[in-house]
Amino acid sequence: MPEPTPPEYQLPGAARTPQNGAVADTGMGGAMDLATAEGETLERPPDAGPPERDAEGDAEGAAGERARSLWSDAWRELRRNPVFIVAALVILFLVFISLWPGSITWMSPLKCELSKAQEGSQPGHPFGFDGQGCDVYTRVVYGARTSVTVGFLATLGVALLGSVLGGLAGFFGGAGDSVLSRITDIFFAIPVVLGGLVLLSVVTSNTVWPVIGFMVLLGWPQISRIARGSVITAKQHDYVQAARALGASHSRVLLRHITPNAVAPVIVVATIALGTYISLEATLSYLGVGLKPPTVSWGIDISAASPYIRNAPHALLWPSGALAVTVLAFIMLGDAVRDALDPKLR
Amino acid sequence: MLLEVRDLHVEFRTRDGIARAVNGVSYGVDAGETLAVLGESGSGKSVTAQAIMGILDMPPGRIASGEIVFRGTDLLKLKEEDRRKVRGAEMAMIFQDALSSLNPVISVGDQLGEMFVVHRGMSRKDARARAVELMDRVRIPAARERVRDYPHQFSGGMRQRIMIAMAMALEPALIIADEPTTALDVTVQAQVMDLLAELQREYHMGLILITHDLGVVADVADRIAVMYAGRIVESAPVHDIYKAPAHPYTRGLLDSIPRLDQKGQELYAIKGLPPNLMNIPPGCAFNPRCPAAQDVCRTDVPPLYEVTGAVAATGIAAAGIAGAAERRADRTSACHFWRECLHG
Amino acid sequence: MAEPVLEVSGLHKHYPLTQGIVFRKHVGAVKAVDGVDFTLGRGETLGIVGESGCGKSTVARMLVSLERPTQGRIRYKGEDVTRLSGRALKAVRRNIQMVFQDPYTSLNPRMTVGDIIGEPFEIHPEAAPKGDRRRRVQDLLDVVGLNPEYINRYPHQFSGGQRQRIGIARGLALRPEVIVADEPVSALDVSVQAQVINLMDRLQSEFDLSYLFIAHDLSIVRHISDRVGVMYLGRIVETGRDAEIYDHPTHPYTQALLSAVPVPDPEAREHRERIILAGDVPSPTDIPSGCRFRTRCWKARERCALEVPALAVPAEFRFATGPAAHASACHFAEEKQVVPPEEREA
Repeated sequence: MPEPTPPEYQLPGAARTPQNGAVADTGMGGAMDLATAEGETLERPPDAGPPERDAEGDAEGAAGERARSLWSDAWRELRRNPVFIVAALVILFLVFISLWPGSITWMSPLKCELSKAQEGSQPGHPFGFDGQGCDVYTRVVYGARTSVTVGFLATLGVALLGSVLGGLAGFFGGAGDSVLSRITDIFFAIPVVLGGLVLLSVVTSNTVWPVIGFMVLLGWPQISRIARGSVITAKQHDYVQAARALGASHSRVLLRHITPNAVAPVIVVATIALGTYISLEATLSYLGVGLKPPTVSWGIDISAASPYIRNAPHALLWPSGALAVTVLAFIMLGDAVRDALDPKLR
Repeated sequence: MLLEVRDLHVEFRTRDGIARAVNGVSYGVDAGETLAVLGESGSGKSVTAQAIMGILDMPPGRIASGEIVFRGTDLLKLKEEDRRKVRGAEMAMIFQDALSSLNPVISVGDQLGEMFVVHRGMSRKDARARAVELMDRVRIPAARERVRDYPHQFSGGMRQRIMIAMAMALEPALIIADEPTTALDVTVQAQVMDLLAELQREYHMGLILITHDLGVVADVADRIAVMYAGRIVESAPVHDIYKAPAHPYTRGLLDSIPRLDQKGQELYAIKGLPPNLMNIPPGCAFNPRCPAAQDVCRTDVPPLYEVTGAVAATGIAAAGIAGAAERRADRTSACHFWRECLHG
Repeated sequence: MAEPVLEVSGLHKHYPLTQGIVFRKHVGAVKAVDGVDFTLGRGETLGIVGESGCGKSTVARMLVSLERPTQGRIRYKGEDVTRLSGRALKAVRRNIQMVFQDPYTSLNPRMTVGDIIGEPFEIHPEAAPKGDRRRRVQDLLDVVGLNPEYINRYPHQFSGGQRQRIGIARGLALRPEVIVADEPVSALDVSVQAQVINLMDRLQSEFDLSYLFIAHDLSIVRHISDRVGVMYLGRIVETGRDAEIYDHPTHPYTQALLSAVPVPDPEAREHRERIILAGDVPSPTDIPSGCRFRTRCWKARERCALEVPALAVPAEFRFATGPAAHASACHFAEEKQVVPPEEREA
């Protein structure tokens, strides 16, 4: 997966050096960033009354009485972002059907009639039947639970473990950092599918946990490497030195100054990885080491339907479509959150 | 005249609207002459230079109108292919940051030689010999041994010399130096400026020196063009401008620099900030910051007035370029009240 | 001199150079600061000038405890700061604050101006009661000439000069006695430089501050400083009152430095004597024996390679009372006027 370069990597420097894309070639980075409202004067004109404030500032907390913070501003920003709203609705819906699949279905996903195998859409069965004669609609709805659980928990685990280890290594450096870097190198050398075949074949449990555990085990080095890099970048900024010169503790520097400035690449990579984890679950299930029937998952259905793609494409397309929409929703969510955390983009 | 920029307009499309970076700039430079273009960040001095060199990023940049006449041809009408032949061979540019302008993975000898290979079709071996010669000429010690070294192995001053050598390689008629010494220490800065001035004299080149440093300008320039918000607000021979500026902005700049020879009282500070280029004030762009602004300054854009009856020029600049002076107004100011400014 | 607030003696900072990955072996050291002494009086401004790499910024970082000196003492009102840690160090830090060079990287882009200027109060909660902080931040904005209503804006909405004012406000928040300013105006435009210098001048008298003002621009240093120290390769080579250094320099390096400064007066270029130094500054890993400036000095003789010149009033001037009688680390110190008094019509 290519390492994304979110704008955070360029902006701080770019604003300073006169090479910032568009207009800043003239070296006017600072002046151009200036809000139009205050382009006129720097010195506060004595008794000139309050300067024009943007409408938004007026609406929010009467004359700025309430202190604003990055997180509250980000939340306000998110609420007005249509991309975020759409993504959030999709994800909420997914969570809902994962918890209560019965609310929008009326059959059991395991009740199949071989006689109806591969039949297309018909009343009561909008998505048709798969190769085993099971109702595709019901299976897609029930599959959401496993797929979303696997994708979400694996991503969460990877992101937490990776960013904590990578972030701490990047922040403190030294021997711990060297050791961690070598360990990530070793993990990068393990082929995912082969690793899965070896590790998961010895597991007999029929739950999703071994699969999630395996994904976290192999996925964290990727996030760790990215988190380490962006923490090292953020650490070098003068504002971190400024906080240290004030006497700020390590935890304060890490939480207030480094994390918000280093989190963007992690969010981007993690949300993209979420999709790959759902697909990886499918791959592993296909190879027979992931989830096993009777567990219902999109991955199992996709792999099961692939032999019949010519005769019954619907059996493949519906679960794949659900997977695609889910992945897209998470990527959109990640994008929106990343943008909301960057005040420069407001 | 070697190069003449006529009424150049450059704008940039940005997320928030159109930024007018250059709004009708005209200036000219003769062979053997040094024109200093002075301005703060955002004044459009570098954008003008990039437009002349044809290295402006387009889009987002766009040359809205104007002419750039170099040796009688309008460069803006040339095809990109022909333009490329001019670039490097007939005009060259020196950038501020020599470290990022040099490729870190290619030896300086190869980078210098590249010019000869590309433009003159020389063999690698001959090109390298020429590279050594060039490095000698910009007084890099032990050039023959160091030709295989990489940029990071040179000090800042030496790297800027290499940049100068690269610009000089094909003996161009015009060199544009964009803040060539800003990143250097003061003692090294003096060496590099001296070298540049010497080479210019030797090859009788035109030199456009883009800078914000009034000290450097006073040291080397023949003429000065002061830019503000994309326009030239004052243009004059160097001696005149320092003696008696004819624009309040120039006057403000001169007054706001601390002096080396005495400890001053409070510094004069031009109030306010340079304007937002997306929203340039009507009338004279400087009017919100000008201590002497009148109503007319807020409504009418001042034309370039010819400044006459000024302090007599001391005649240094005139020596090599006597002919040129006849063809253009020697001194102009874009201030409705230049007379008051000159004598105030 | 006024009562000293800071006394620095024998300050060294050597960064070890190591080789090997597992068994690190010392192969030398970068001697960034190599024996610096000075005192800073209450309400006084000491200017430190020097070229890049002379160690002036390292001195600044040691004063605000961002680096620990390899050797030497920094005494704040008689107490050795270098030995302190924990609570005691934090208390001293309140009184020695720093203003950084680059206003674009010294402010956290993801914090509001209110958070940035208020951070010192959060780190040192005893400095201001919680309910009072917001008002204090607004007062500080007012003091540095910014509109107090800007409290909820983000740094990127300000120009370079305004950002530097924010940086200064942060430095002032805890009412320190000493402000260490590392090139505070070198990233700003000429017209804005003057505004910031005037502001610093005003604040000094208003709050009775002592400044350690570090810059490479000799004119600005003269403007703001009462005393000046010239640094070369990790050491102060000449120090004295501003007129002593600028009008009567006795160290050849100071003379060369001053003579190289371009003066904004075209008349001066004909009759000015320029001392062009040969070669580059030697590497701080391999400092020349004896006088560290001898490799570039036109006066160097055998004695210079053998004896380290002490920073003291040279023998020639020991009994003189004129401005040439100030500390200069040169065996062959002699007075030489290199800055011609300008004549400019006002």
